[in-house]
Amino acid sequence: MLLEIRDLKVNYNVDGHPVEVVRGLDLDIKKGECIGLVGESGCGKTTVGLSITRLIPEQKGGIASGRILLEDRDILSLDSEGLRKIRGKRISYVFQEPFSSLNPVFTIYEQLKEALPKEVDARQSIPEALNNVGLGNIVGKEKLYPHELSGGMQQRVMIAMAIISRPDLLILDEPTTALDVTVQSQILELIMGLKNRMDLAILFISHDLRIIFKFADRVNVMYAGRIVEVGPKEKIFSHRAHPYTRGLVDSIPSFEHRKKRFNAIEGRTPLFSDLPKGCKFHPRCRFKVDRCVDREPDLQELSSGHFSRCIRAKELMSNGAIKST
Amino acid sequence: MELLKVHNLKKTFPKTKVTAVDGVDFSIFKGEVLGLVGESGCGKSTLARSILRLTDVQEGSVFYKEEDLLKMPQGKMREIRKSLQVIFQDPYMSLDPRMRIGSIIEEVLLIHSDISKIERKNKVIELLEMVGLGGSYIQRLPRELSGGERQRIGIARSLATGPEFIICDEPISSLDISIQAQILNLLLDLKKKNNLTYLFISHDLGVIASICDRVIVMQSGRFVETGSCEEIFKASKHEYTRQLLKSTLICNYNSIIV
Repeated sequence: MLLEIRDLKVNYNVDGHPVEVVRGLDLDIKKGECIGLVGESGCGKTTVGLSITRLIPEQKGGIASGRILLEDRDILSLDSEGLRKIRGKRISYVFQEPFSSLNPVFTIYEQLKEALPKEVDARQSIPEALNNVGLGNIVGKEKLYPHELSGGMQQRVMIAMAIISRPDLLILDEPTTALDVTVQSQILELIMGLKNRMDLAILFISHDLRIIFKFADRVNVMYAGRIVEVGPKEKIFSHRAHPYTRGLVDSIPSFEHRKKRFNAIEGRTPLFSDLPKGCKFHPRCRFKVDRCVDREPDLQELSSGHFSRCIRAKELMSNGAIKST
Repeated sequence: MELLKVHNLKKTFPKTKVTAVDGVDFSIFKGEVLGLVGESGCGKSTLARSILRLTDVQEGSVFYKEEDLLKMPQGKMREIRKSLQVIFQDPYMSLDPRMRIGSIIEEVLLIHSDISKIERKNKVIELLEMVGLGGSYIQRLPRELSGGERQRIGIARSLATGPEFIICDEPISSLDISIQAQILNLLLDLKKKNNLTYLFISHDLGVIASICDRVIVMQSGRFVETGSCEEIFKASKHEYTRQLLKSTLICNYNSIIV
């Protein structure tokens, strides 16, 4: 196992009080594997990504408990020197908006150089990294600034920076959400090509199940700070053993379901300061029963590697047309 | 019945000399959802703005009820704008952060109608209910709302004047997929209930496929293909359309074909 997260709990300070936004989360990433983490805005998925290298700003909050093991070494017990050896070197990130991630007053070359360890020869590594991300045409253009590039090219630069030191794990947080569909598909292809060539493990964070289904090997569905369903993508797709996963799948627009109302998830994600009793999804759930309010269910294993946090998971799986309430 | 007839519309930006809309012809029929799809910078938003005279154009005509909107005097155009509305993309940018939700919607009524204060308040509540929110939102500020809720406010505001035609300019592309589905449901419901016609602009063919009757594919200011949804998705003729289709993540319900 490359990375193991165990019972991770993260608190944010809201009006001076700690509020738990990751509420006991387990996640495994094997070497060379692409793991999807899917959920709506405000479910805590970005926080999970940031926790992995302890990037949550101190004034905002921090990790309360849990373990994050990178090949058996707990990241949470590292000192700042130890963290420096991991950040950007063994684990690196690509975020949603390339323009706000790049520094506008430094050239692309300067920023790529900054991402490199001192002992590596920049004259060789930078052209190689640019070629790797399909930016061969700007090799040698050392005076180029971020604003001179399109959004898609900027994101390629971000990817070049993320892979230049050959990390083991790449964390992608909505890397294509701000981009057009055509550019999006080019960037996704690029990422998957790199994954295979460099044997990268990827944690792919997105609200869009279409992307996750296309690229992830295993899918984690997250709601209100916890995993509610996890498994190989084929199992998730064919069983959808949690009502939330069903809602997400039913929200996907397609030609086949044209001009019909979507079976959408009503309402919005709950605030962490005001979570409902019992199952956190029950107020929006179309399969809820009285028992759902009693207590929050544990993850139960349905088949090898496939878990759901729903007391009606088996019913949902055995009968696609289970009666909704 | 033709609701709008656009002829040889042309828009060049004077400083950059970029021709964003390069002589396009099309009609929008009453009761349909016409999709306009293309990449960023292809001119689709400029086209939408030109139709409503939110930007000046060099050439062309836009006929609505046998009158050319582009030649209409300002006063009359203002009257017509009640019937022709727009929903913008970014619900974060298009709401004044200092105004309460009630005032944001009421402002439209103040400008476009002469009903009393009490009637205005009732109308605001009615509009908020129409978009699935309700009177409890009147005193709230935009920053207290989620993206989906803000877009509902944008929709309520455009419905305030009782329009028959609404341009939806990427109304859901900054929202989560789950919230996109909610908003699409709302737009479909409102269309049926209020007998609306939409011009629906998006770069996402999946979204276009799920709600449009006809589709226009735009590239560099020109139309490359126009057809029914079936024609565009099942038998597209133009290479560019096929390229767009190929890069769209289309998920089939029965299998994970992407």
